[in-house]
Amino acid sequence: MADQNKIIVETKGTVAVLDIKGDVTGASEPFFSEAYHHPDADGTGKLLLKFDGEAYINSGGIAVLIQLLAEAKRNRQRVCITGLSAHFKKVFHMVGITRFADIFPSVEEALKEMG
Amino acid sequence: MSKMDLASGYLFKGLGKEQLKRISEHTGEIEVKPGHEICREGESAASIFLLCRGAVELITSVNDHIELPVSIMREPGAMFGSSALIEPHVYTLTAKCQSSGSILHIDRLGLQNIMSGDDHCGSVIMKNLAAYFLARLKETRQELKIHFKTLLRSFRA
Repeated sequence: MADQNKIIVETKGTVAVLDIKGDVTGASEPFFSEAYHHPDADGTGKLLLKFDGEAYINSGGIAVLIQLLAEAKRNRQRVCITGLSAHFKKVFHMVGITRFADIFPSVEEALKEMG
Repeated sequence: MSKMDLASGYLFKGLGKEQLKRISEHTGEIEVKPGHEICREGESAASIFLLCRGAVELITSVNDHIELPVSIMREPGAMFGSSALIEPHVYTLTAKCQSSGSILHIDRLGLQNIMSGDDHCGSVIMKNLAAYFLARLKETRQELKIHFKTLLRSFRA
């Protein structure tokens, strides 16, 4: 798990942005858990997941995202996503992730809408 | 990558030059374009594949409407379709090209004949195959655990 992912958490206004580097797989679970519970993300009402456009997200990675979305829903947090390739926008729509998280083409547009 | 670069495939690690040469006699090369489907989940598996150039995505079908991404292969030497070597000789994943490239296809029956006539070759390939499937099993268990934890939390909430 040494360098599976690097997730930088920063606050932009009222939104906690999780900047996710690397491919997302089942091995990404501890990285997402740590980022979700980061002081800048913990307790915030809005989360923006920013993916690397080149990132590959497999079924294990989708399981990790569903886990995060389920926890965010329990905590009444809004989650938005940006940085996805056209391929993964299609995959996220197909598996139903878009019912729980809106997808935006850029950080700026997401932040403007999440305001 | 030439046919003799078969040595870069995980399945053939530990084989000698002569053994690789015999396998290369049952190997062909195809050029592929984005969207090209190399093999389909559930279909009879006649070949094993080795990526020379490009990128290939492996996917599995959940139902008629949902396909899950399993992995992407971008490194030359990556192999797929190895379920061809195990009964009932059926592909367990669909492989689709994500970019232009070339792929080696190794005839399953030809390879099995070599393995039957050369105990060392057969043993090395099956050992490599077992290690690969064990790694896949670990990944699948990890994924199952994540779903299980999500379900448990949702029931407790």
